[in-house]
Amino acid sequence: MHKYIIRRILVFIPMLIMLSIIVFALATAAPGDPFTGKILDPTVDPEVFNEQREALGLNDPIPVQYLRWATAMAKGDFGESMYYKGRDVASLISERIVNTVYLGVFALVLTLIVAIPIGIYSAKNPYSPLDYGATTFGFFGLAVPNFFFGLIAIYVFAIKLGWFPAQGTISNIHVTGFAEFLDRIHHMVLPGITLGLAGTATYMRYMRSEVLDVLGSDYIRTAKAKGMSDRSVMYKHTLRNAMIPIITLMGFEFGALLSGAIITEQVFSYPGLGTLFINSITNRDYPVIMSITLLLGVAILIGNLLADIFYSIVDPRIRYD
Amino acid sequence: MNKALRRLLILLVFICMTGFLLVACNNDSDEEGSENKETENTEDEKDDNEEEKEEVESGPQEGGTLTGAMYSAPAGMFNPIFYEEAYEANILSFTHDSLVSQNESLEFIPSLAKEWETNDDQTSLTLKLEEGVTWHDGEEFTAEDVVFTYKSMSDPDYVSAGGIRTAYVLPLLGYNAYSSGETDTFEGVVADDDYTVTFHFEEPNINPLYYASFPIIPEHIFKDIPVAEMPEAAESRDAGAVIGTGAFKFTNMIEREQYILERHGDYWQGTPYLESIVWKVVAQSVMTGLLESGEVDFIADPNGIPPADFETVQGFGNIEIIEQPDFGYQLLGFKHNHRTGEDVEAGALEPDNWVPNEKLADPKLRQAISYAVNREGLVDGLLYGRGQPINSPVATQFWAYDDAAATNYNFDPEKAGSMLDELGYVDDNGDGFRDDPDGNEWILNMDYPTGNELREKSAPLIEQQLEEVGINVNLRQPKEMTAYVEELTNDNTDWDLYLLGWSLGSADPDPSGLWATKAAYNFSRWNNPESEELMQKALKAPEAFEQDYRAEVYSEWQSIFSEDLPALLLYAQNSLWAYNKRLQGVDPLPYTMYQDAHLWWVNDAN
Repeated sequence: MHKYIIRRILVFIPMLIMLSIIVFALATAAPGDPFTGKILDPTVDPEVFNEQREALGLNDPIPVQYLRWATAMAKGDFGESMYYKGRDVASLISERIVNTVYLGVFALVLTLIVAIPIGIYSAKNPYSPLDYGATTFGFFGLAVPNFFFGLIAIYVFAIKLGWFPAQGTISNIHVTGFAEFLDRIHHMVLPGITLGLAGTATYMRYMRSEVLDVLGSDYIRTAKAKGMSDRSVMYKHTLRNAMIPIITLMGFEFGALLSGAIITEQVFSYPGLGTLFINSITNRDYPVIMSITLLLGVAILIGNLLADIFYSIVDPRIRYD
Repeated sequence: MNKALRRLLILLVFICMTGFLLVACNNDSDEEGSENKETENTEDEKDDNEEEKEEVESGPQEGGTLTGAMYSAPAGMFNPIFYEEAYEANILSFTHDSLVSQNESLEFIPSLAKEWETNDDQTSLTLKLEEGVTWHDGEEFTAEDVVFTYKSMSDPDYVSAGGIRTAYVLPLLGYNAYSSGETDTFEGVVADDDYTVTFHFEEPNINPLYYASFPIIPEHIFKDIPVAEMPEAAESRDAGAVIGTGAFKFTNMIEREQYILERHGDYWQGTPYLESIVWKVVAQSVMTGLLESGEVDFIADPNGIPPADFETVQGFGNIEIIEQPDFGYQLLGFKHNHRTGEDVEAGALEPDNWVPNEKLADPKLRQAISYAVNREGLVDGLLYGRGQPINSPVATQFWAYDDAAATNYNFDPEKAGSMLDELGYVDDNGDGFRDDPDGNEWILNMDYPTGNELREKSAPLIEQQLEEVGINVNLRQPKEMTAYVEELTNDNTDWDLYLLGWSLGSADPDPSGLWATKAAYNFSRWNNPESEELMQKALKAPEAFEQDYRAEVYSEWQSIFSEDLPALLLYAQNSLWAYNKRLQGVDPLPYTMYQDAHLWWVNDAN
């Protein structure tokens, strides 16, 4: 097992190098550079931008730029943002990632709390009213675009009813301690639900079909024939087996936790990694694009590794050596 | 379970969801959910009561907090000499002052400088500064701070550190020598004594006060920080460390969400009434809702409220809207010339090498196209009337604007058609589109950028209008702004028509930054010797010291512009700034709403 994990982690390295080369090539191949997109201002001499390009080394050949970036990266230096003057990328990312992770975890927990019990219930009582309700909700959740749902949620619950704040992560600078924690949760409710909506629908459907599937299999019949109680059939045999696809999904979700909230973050002016990523792409802020992509790459790889490890815990038939 | 009951339940779930959707979509209707109305009413009543009380008391009240909104977070650079975007300017205009500012007729008026004089040939400008002005940290503001500000902007490292405001220091005496590092003595701005400062210019300067209108930064804060390191210094970016002389101090922030300004008790024009101003970053989609609920008190630069929301916001009753023409404009550009591949490669602007664009070579042709565009229609349809077609590339608020000098291309498709007929552009091959006089196909390529929703919508409309008079327009896919500007600049391409917008300043109407032959932003590659001569004439001392003389030259220039048409000016959109009626004492200027914020007060402060 340990060997397996170490081997997997070693494989990450060439993958990440490949990823960085591809992303760097794509980013620099996109038309324009950090200065072409600046607001056109006739009082600013374009010569100024040429001088700044020179200072940042943007006039060097692309392989040279890549190597410069890669050597710095290998030393753990993420570089300096070209758009946010004088900010290093590490501080930009660390400032945002917290918000994104909070929101992602909040949405995921919400998703699981809602989706798994309903999925199980639906499978145990297929074609019951609640199953139909859940199915309707499932299709609704998948069909409604995130931003649309987000806007409706803001309109109804923030502006009309005033139950939840519409924007941001915290009400003001003065809340601290436990009050701050509550305030942050309060701010996360609407974006969290918006973000979790599609996921909830997916997990619910998966859970339902998996449990239904497993319930019909031979070993469950055997277990029932042995006279095991319904409860213990459910928890000892059915759920464990039904969880496998869910774990695969969650493995992917781990990466999506960091990247998946782009639209939701925009709608709620929620300052997370997603908005930073989008902005850095529109501004051609190469160092930031590179760092975030690598971060997402690492997150997805780790997510998949964790999923593989969890398989072997949930399903003893799966072994790695 | 009973089948009918099951169906009923499904139906119920469905109805609930549809109902939910409908309620949410009800945005524009006047009837709102009754319960919500109630909660708002209680607040309104409270407001009303206070307003009544207020009327009795009258006069400004002390205290209170005001919430402003912007759609995008500032990049985080709160040093005036390094900031770039309007979002930072929103904060800096409350925290920093300049020596001079502008009044409603765009004349320069005293601010930190109380009086000034120029020498006879306008090569120097001497300003007397206000005494007893203090920085946010209590230090006194002196002439040395002014010198320091301009010296930093002339520093050899200023541009490579990210500074872009060299326009304010370029004409200063000895700028080149100092900025290239040849000398350590900075002669451009000199402190004569603590409260007198003199700007020296290399050449006679026709608008010297413009150069004195830049916000001043404190020497005592930055003196030990090399210019190259200023952008990353806490003093340039952290709340509490940013120091200005303005009416409000930037004291706190939740980065990318809230920016908190608190009053500067010792402000030299008097203690501000407002306790604090909080800037919030909100998504544009929810802006009107937040204005209505009172969560946001004002929204102004750079975007204000969208024209489509004007009537909704006006209908709220609690919101005052300031509507004024903007300084910028949108245009339909005609590519007069293209550059050669080599010139693009070398980044050279050599008018002699330019390749004329035969498809648009005749000015009559461009005029005909201009008559075919329904600019009024665009303003009514896209801007909901919140703007106006303009005929000259000089903002209407300027003294230099001369509507009479420029040709007004009123929408006249028949005239356009007959002009094209006369020029020999008729349909020879019967495909429904006009061909050029030689009988070849005549297809105009049209390009436009994304980023401005109204401009994006205008592109297909213009295409349609041109096709109605038989011009074959090949409207291509829009490009993202960054990519678009690159292609616009590197123009050894097949571009003919392009859409673009300019947001312009209020300082001086000089159009040469955009329309001079060798200006980088002259994307039409317009090369007209007459226009060139007039633009230079308007800036030439000593005649140009007289504004009337310049106005005359500019009106001549505007007439040439509108005859030769490097671009058809489409419209100038009105800026729509909105604020809650609880805010009093707002005295907007043509270019800003943030005038004399120390006199702002709210009527529910107590």
